[in-house]
Amino acid sequence: MGLIRAVFDAAFRQGGTRLKPVGPRWPLLLFHIDTGGCGGCGMELEALASGPYDMEGAGFGFVQSPRTADVLLVTGALTRTMAPVVDAAWQAMPKPKGVICVGGCAVDGGYFPENYSVLGGLDRKAAIDLQIPGCPPSPQQVLDGLCSLFRQRVRGAGGPQAEGSSSTSS
Amino acid sequence: MDAVSLIRSGQETETPWRFRLDELGWRDMVTALGQDTLPFAGLWCDGADVHALFMPSPTQPLAATLALENGRYPALSPARAVSSLYERMAYDLYGVEAMWAVDVRPLVDHEVWSATAPLDASPGLAGGRKGQISFQPSETLLAAGGVTGGVGPATGGTETSLHVAMAVSGETIVAAETVSGYAHRGLAARWRNSRLEDACRLSGRVVAGCSVAHQAAFSQAVEAACGSKVGPETALIRVVLMELERILLHLHTLAGLARGAGALLVASRCAWFREKLLALSAPVIGSRLLMDHCVPGGTRLREATGLGDLCTSLAKLGDEIYPGLATLWQTYPALSVRLSGVGPVDAALLDRVGLDGPVARAAGRDCDGRRTQRVYQSLWRLTAGRQGGTAEDRALILLDEIGESLRMLGEAGPRLGLTAGGRVDLSPDAGEGLGMAEGPWGTVLYWVRLHAGRVAQVFVHDPAPAALMVFEAALPGQDLADLGLLRQSLGVNAAALDG
Repeated sequence: MGLIRAVFDAAFRQGGTRLKPVGPRWPLLLFHIDTGGCGGCGMELEALASGPYDMEGAGFGFVQSPRTADVLLVTGALTRTMAPVVDAAWQAMPKPKGVICVGGCAVDGGYFPENYSVLGGLDRKAAIDLQIPGCPPSPQQVLDGLCSLFRQRVRGAGGPQAEGSSSTSS
Repeated sequence: MDAVSLIRSGQETETPWRFRLDELGWRDMVTALGQDTLPFAGLWCDGADVHALFMPSPTQPLAATLALENGRYPALSPARAVSSLYERMAYDLYGVEAMWAVDVRPLVDHEVWSATAPLDASPGLAGGRKGQISFQPSETLLAAGGVTGGVGPATGGTETSLHVAMAVSGETIVAAETVSGYAHRGLAARWRNSRLEDACRLSGRVVAGCSVAHQAAFSQAVEAACGSKVGPETALIRVVLMELERILLHLHTLAGLARGAGALLVASRCAWFREKLLALSAPVIGSRLLMDHCVPGGTRLREATGLGDLCTSLAKLGDEIYPGLATLWQTYPALSVRLSGVGPVDAALLDRVGLDGPVARAAGRDCDGRRTQRVYQSLWRLTAGRQGGTAEDRALILLDEIGESLRMLGEAGPRLGLTAGGRVDLSPDAGEGLGMAEGPWGTVLYWVRLHAGRVAQVFVHDPAPAALMVFEAALPGQDLADLGLLRQSLGVNAAALDG
């Protein structure tokens, strides 16, 4: 695919020109695409969104359309069938925009490296703004990763924090 | 002569339950299957032969093998509808043609791969398509007015990638069919000639949420191929992991259903309960999604000796939270009403496509693989009992099963005590084996062939293909807004389907 040229935008980082304020009132909107994996990262994203992690309080939210998204959040090993879908979603997103890979598959294919049907992750195919490794990363690790975009640390979120960080799959 | 006798009259092979038929024998078998209720578990190809697997009894497999002639074989789909998906997969991977098949459209190869028939000895040229795939609607869909709407594969949600093409009239779905293949990772190719450990890891990633069932069935198949069997303590540890997996996935599904039905409080409560269970279990077991804990020859946990106490703690937590959750689900305003009209599934359809698991148990079918497994003796008891076959019945069955699995954990805890299970040394050389587990959505079955100490080929039976056929059959007449609810309540998962 004429792979996405992720124009990383300093607007998302502290110190840059902040076109888009960050905080509870101004959530960073994520559009999730599973590009061909087992679905484990999607399950953990679901847990992050609906479980007791206060994702929205930390300044993040999922949206149902790329047209309203700030960040493309990719999980899965990037199959050749899904690559044009990713590209179309990227083209539909307004600027400024960025790409986040969640899980080892989305980064470099993980257990599903390149073959006849799989391109093997976005690494070296697109500019990735943030990689959150793991198979799958726990919801807390995903949230910590997202917060690292702004060099924030999550304030004590209570129970799930400790258990999340200690529970990544091998 | 019935189908079982016809298969048994074939030539014996090195595997006692697999028989080689000639083409006429195979055709007779297909004809006999038309008048027979022999349960069909799947069909696959290995390049030289095509194999069909049946389950005459819940524990006794029976397989028929036919040598391909000019890359063709008589299809089973005229007698077993679900075979259509296996035949289409075999064509996409090996280029082998099923004669008289009911559906010959591509399943996973949409001309974007780097080779056609990639598993064949001489693969074809790369597909020439650039950009998004197109698909050929079935005649049924064209007759209903053609494609006038579609959902997926990228919805922004967290479900696996699948496209549903529909003919829509107003807000009602008139006809619909799915387009799959977006999540095809080439598992069959990756399993070929892989090390046991790598193959097991792959089996844990066929479909998340059912990893224990897949890896337990894979491990059993490898153990059977090696002529070994794990001890009762290891088997019990696997049962504990499978029941925990069932609880966690059912809670995940119920949370999604409640959210889709607008009952956000119930959804939040399900997700919270799931996280509470994970907070206890993940540090002992070593992961949240329970991947890579069942391995050939045994189990691998972070703190194996703590599993007995963990079961007791989980059951205690269940005693505190589960009754309130069940009451909340049953009494939450309008939740039952919202779900009761969604996706009524006829038991006859389930029989025709061979779907078991909670979907069948919610439609009056008394089918549960745990009934016949020795390790579940004195643990399992009947959980079927609903007849309606709607999304409401399915949700209530999932809720019942969570309670039952929590009870089983409570009983298994003291039996486990401080045991770590132990490992059986395997001597994998060559052979075939079959393994089976009752996963959260139904029977998961693995057929594994070993050669020279490595995995030569794997066939997986998962409820996904049958669930997809039920999903497609249940869509007409449904409200467009109920699509997600229907998909979740039937356990349709593209990752398991695409392979």
